[in-house]
Amino acid sequence: MKILVIEDDTATGAYIAEGLREEGHSVDLIASGADGLVQGTIGTYDVMVVDRMLPGLDGMAVVKTLRATGNATPVLFLTAMGGVDDRIEGLHAGADDYLVKPFVFGELSARLAAIGRRPKIQDAPVTLSVADLEMNLLTRKVTRAGQPIDLLPREFALLECLMRRKGRVQTRTMLMETVWDIHYDPLTNVVDTHISRLRAKIDKPFATELIETVRGAGYRIAAP
Amino acid sequence: MTLPDRFDRIRSTPLRLTIILTLIFAVAALGCFTTAYGVVRANLNAAILSDLRQTVATFRQEGEPDELLERLTEAVRVTDPSYRILHYLPDSGPVISNAGDIAPISGTVTLAGDSLGPTDGALAESYLALSARVGAGQLIVGQSRRAIIEMSEIFAAVVLMGLLPAMLIAGLAGLWIARRAQDRIGAIQDALGAMTGGDSTARVRGIAAGNDDLSGIGQAVNAMATAQEALIVTLRQVSTDIAHDLRTPIQRVSVLLDRMARGADLPPAQKTLLLQAQDETTRIGRTFQALLQLAQVEGGAARDRLVPVDLVGVARDVVEFLDVDAETQGLSLTAALPASATVTGDRQLLSQVMVNLIQNAMLHGAEGQTVHLAIATCGPVVTLTVSDHGPGIPADERAKVLRRLYRLDRSRTTPGNGLGLAMVKAVCDLHRARLTLEDNAPGLSVRIAFPPVSADVGTTAQRPHLAQ
Repeated sequence: MKILVIEDDTATGAYIAEGLREEGHSVDLIASGADGLVQGTIGTYDVMVVDRMLPGLDGMAVVKTLRATGNATPVLFLTAMGGVDDRIEGLHAGADDYLVKPFVFGELSARLAAIGRRPKIQDAPVTLSVADLEMNLLTRKVTRAGQPIDLLPREFALLECLMRRKGRVQTRTMLMETVWDIHYDPLTNVVDTHISRLRAKIDKPFATELIETVRGAGYRIAAP
Repeated sequence: MTLPDRFDRIRSTPLRLTIILTLIFAVAALGCFTTAYGVVRANLNAAILSDLRQTVATFRQEGEPDELLERLTEAVRVTDPSYRILHYLPDSGPVISNAGDIAPISGTVTLAGDSLGPTDGALAESYLALSARVGAGQLIVGQSRRAIIEMSEIFAAVVLMGLLPAMLIAGLAGLWIARRAQDRIGAIQDALGAMTGGDSTARVRGIAAGNDDLSGIGQAVNAMATAQEALIVTLRQVSTDIAHDLRTPIQRVSVLLDRMARGADLPPAQKTLLLQAQDETTRIGRTFQALLQLAQVEGGAARDRLVPVDLVGVARDVVEFLDVDAETQGLSLTAALPASATVTGDRQLLSQVMVNLIQNAMLHGAEGQTVHLAIATCGPVVTLTVSDHGPGIPADERAKVLRRLYRLDRSRTTPGNGLGLAMVKAVCDLHRARLTLEDNAPGLSVRIAFPPVSADVGTTAQRPHLAQ
């Protein structure tokens, strides 16, 4: 993906740019709001990372201006604040997602993958599959190697969330937001417990494990 | 009106002043009336007495006994006994009288009309009578006290028709004034209460216009509140600035640690240290985040964004989210929920409150115990209760645990940042809900009573990220 990063802190900026380049993305790094706005308007990007607090023109103004000119490039806000109000204000200004400092690279990478422009998967797939695991979204039935698996509604939602973005990391925060609609830090590792329940049903009885833990980031489902 | 309200009203200064003034007025007015009555009555008595003495003197002037008897007989014949009685008891001979039998008297006395008679004419109610020695006999002259009785009746009428209504009017007017003053004092008290409750935007309403003492106090309170609010805004700005200034270095540390972890092949011992350092950095970040969020909720800006929320739906999600945690710890998480219970609130904050309370309960509970979440509706009031059977909180510590970063001695070693209950308190204040910590004997029971949903909330405020 082609990514524009607007971040005034050089260390953080370099870290983001370097990490994203390592993952094979093409990155432009800009250190001020005004320059970022110009670059964002003339360039074509798949996704932008914008720091909320920038010298001069701040991140909020940059995104508002871009949106006012009809630019619909997905934007991820980075911020030192992160209360409910900031999140809502940021999303209201036209940002697509929101990440609070300090963050780990895995979280940023996973979120960019989730909001970035990418070839659309078919609009309304009826079945999702990873290796021999199949999920029918209409009948709500899950089978692995032809064997039916009974899932509770939330377990189904959790698995669906992973399978819809197979091969991509889903962070704990992303899973909490999508599956439980929890947009705050619940100070608990209960997501891990839910994942281990899910694993007990879809991985343990079988030879290979499909759900993979990504240290420092989250979880990913992929064919082994 | 409840009983305590009534007591408050009686204790209120304006009402006490009204009662005292009305009483003073009544006592003074009655005193004046009594004095006037006494003076007028004494004058009337004196006039009657002097008239009687005059009469006695007239009869005494007659030197001849025969002529005296003749004059007396004539006088008795023409005198109307309902106005004046004449009774002559000679030392020898028949009684000459227009008033029947009168028991002998001496000096000046009051005679009741019905102790006299029989007579030809009617008798008055009572007489002021004088007995004197005239010629060779005892003369009793009496005059009707009609004038004095009439005067008494007039005074009684004046008191009844004049003084009582005046007192009633003064009392009612006083009550009305007291009530108005009480309302204004109440407005000042409400504003002060709201400010103490953390609402720095609270002001004394409807008092700015006047220039009397109460308005003066109201204006002074408002001025103080404005100054305090400005101070709070400054403080908040400072803390936000600090947070921003510190977050960037923390971010850098996190970045450096992450690069180290991703880069080189480290020996396992150093790798472990590095992972611990990363975990600690994350923890610092989370505590910062929690402090900032707490400050923001306490700031109250989110109050405009509160919308009707079904608390039961939120509770179901939270229970579903946390029950695996409870199972892992060997606790059971139970819930008693009605079909629905609408409150005016912020879904995320309400969910966070429930998660905080249930996690607290689970943290202090022992294996095999139950953590119970209940929602009850009583009329328009929705109550949320989270109760456990853990060690509970001593009564004198219950207010303190709601402060930020306060921790009970026994909790120092358990995980947590000391902000969970402070956040619960802040969210309750934001929702104007009443938070109470009670003994669950054994354990702790936390109860949150939400105010009734007002009809106008929710039509103007929409969650922007849902609308988009």
